[in-house]
Amino acid sequence: MRVFVTALALVVCLAASAARAGAVADFADRLKLSGWVEGIQSVGMHAPNEEVTSRARLRLNLEGDFDWIYGWISADLEKNWKIESETGADIHEAWLEHVGNGWDVRVGRQTIIWGRADGVQITDIICPPDYTESITRDLDEIRMPVGAAKFRLLGSTVDTELIWIPVFRAAKLPKDSNPWAVSSAWPAGLDVHQEDVDEPDISLENSELALRVSAYFSGFDCSASVFHGWDDMAAYHRHAVSGGGGTDVYISPEHHRLTVLGLDFARPWSDFVFRGEMACYLGRYFATDVLEGGVLQRDAVKWLAGVDWTPGNDWTVIAQIYGQRILDYDDTLAEHRHNVTTTLNISKDLLNQTLTLSSMLYLNLNDLDSFYRAKADYEISDGLHVILGADVFGGTRAGSYGQYQNNSQIWLKTKYSF
Amino acid sequence: MSKLAAGVCVFLSFLICFPAFAAELTGREVMVLEDERPDGDDRTSMITMTLINKRDRKRVRQVKSFSKDYGKDKKSVMIFREPADVRKTAFLSWEYDDADREDDKWLYMPAMRKTRRISGASKNEYFMGTDFTYDDMGDRSVDEDVHTLVGEEPAMGHDCWKIESVPVDKEDMYARKVLWVSKTAHMIMQAEYYDKDGLLKVYKALEAEERNGFWTLLSSEMNNVSRQHRTLMETTEVCYDSGLDDSLFRVSTIQRGRLP
Repeated sequence: MRVFVTALALVVCLAASAARAGAVADFADRLKLSGWVEGIQSVGMHAPNEEVTSRARLRLNLEGDFDWIYGWISADLEKNWKIESETGADIHEAWLEHVGNGWDVRVGRQTIIWGRADGVQITDIICPPDYTESITRDLDEIRMPVGAAKFRLLGSTVDTELIWIPVFRAAKLPKDSNPWAVSSAWPAGLDVHQEDVDEPDISLENSELALRVSAYFSGFDCSASVFHGWDDMAAYHRHAVSGGGGTDVYISPEHHRLTVLGLDFARPWSDFVFRGEMACYLGRYFATDVLEGGVLQRDAVKWLAGVDWTPGNDWTVIAQIYGQRILDYDDTLAEHRHNVTTTLNISKDLLNQTLTLSSMLYLNLNDLDSFYRAKADYEISDGLHVILGADVFGGTRAGSYGQYQNNSQIWLKTKYSF
Repeated sequence: MSKLAAGVCVFLSFLICFPAFAAELTGREVMVLEDERPDGDDRTSMITMTLINKRDRKRVRQVKSFSKDYGKDKKSVMIFREPADVRKTAFLSWEYDDADREDDKWLYMPAMRKTRRISGASKNEYFMGTDFTYDDMGDRSVDEDVHTLVGEEPAMGHDCWKIESVPVDKEDMYARKVLWVSKTAHMIMQAEYYDKDGLLKVYKALEAEERNGFWTLLSSEMNNVSRQHRTLMETTEVCYDSGLDDSLFRVSTIQRGRLP
């Protein structure tokens, strides 16, 4: 509701801007409508070959440029036959922007992406992820916009970005009958009571702040950032009470304050671009295998090294290795001390760049489980694409990818942009 | 008047009447003339590229283009208007005259709201499915090829110098190029691109005219003989020396996803 009110206020602001800019006819000329419509249907690779993904979505974008102010609203209308909770309408982004001399400011619900990684969050922690369909959605659909005020001071080579997020937005995880929901198996004899997630109240002291300084030199880009906010993922605190021949476990999910210091760089050389990112997560809560307590607070370092190679002839190769190291490690922690994953994405454009074949692999080196996506994207005409793909999850069922083995699927998607 | 003075006078008259004989240009000098053809300190245009395949099916790409000179270097930015699925994609490049120095390039992807550094060396990629490579569209440094003047021939209604250009880099996608450079416009009016297997592409400047004192290419065609595919490029809304602000050519500007 709050977002709809924001969007309405934004339209009123644009209308007021139009009044300032000129006549009503001028107002209409300054507005542009665009968007896309897509449908995707899949069949499971394993018996009984049920669909894993089945949805249709319409995205409408409305933008208005009134010289001194620019506004953007995008809204989604979705019908999801597999995950009913996704069906409905929603405002995706709604923001206003003013550009000054050497600075700009953007206020409203917006998408802010940091970092150099492809599909991996290292320093990129402003917008929380939407894992409703795990990582099988397009990368731009996995990030959820946040209500924020973003102020940028723009120099010739150095930009400074200050972000204030007054309202916390948590990561979205699959639950209930969603095929991507992870079931928790508790030992027999435990009676589990889970409370609702405790999210921070809306208040000035609970708001989030982020600062990033980026420099763009000839042959070298780099950034340093600091984020002081809330962990998008709740920590599942546990309290066990024994008695009467059984044990009651009380789970109270809670979001905690988090400070993240980040660095990243990109360096082109010949046909290559080398990229790197590192972030120190100070005071993050990690789950344990111990019934009592359930979480431990530790610092952690996330890192990534990647290379993009464009050898020519419409080939693109992107390779990445990334990991997380938990400092002051405790053996009761559920996560590995050092968890390392690699990604490899190879794509080739054919038929005058109307057909793109791509092959993408995520391989976790600790559990040796993987997610592999092969895709053929054909542009039938301007803006109209038909995409045939396969998602294959492999490896141990205890792994973050292997647990979805039953969700391996072949899918067909059509998308029309206008 | 002595015989010597009379001889000098006759010789000077000859030079004035027949300047072409005064100093035969080398291939490199012709290409420097082409490279340094006056086009203002900055320029803005709308470029529409129509891609036509062998079945005569058409696809359209439209970009708004801005560029500005910084001495012999150039900064340019392009933002896509069509097709809809790539609309607002922006491409920023800082191109250096020094052939040994790699260009700086960034790509803004609107769906991700993210700008990424891209390789400055990949000039041989085809631009958005057209038959023009990034190199064909940009300012290739003169000394990236060895140029030889092989004759003079008319092309596309212009008297032209005929130049053969062979890339210094043996890995270049072209083995050689034959260029027809207009003597009056100092513009490439026709070109043939060869790879090791033979003729690859034929370029023709279909319409060029002088605007505000600058020779301006309004329409051109690249016919990819080997792929049986061609691209018609039309330039409109051409504007020179409008005083484009330096801030237009920064990463922070393309990150907004919109340009003037």
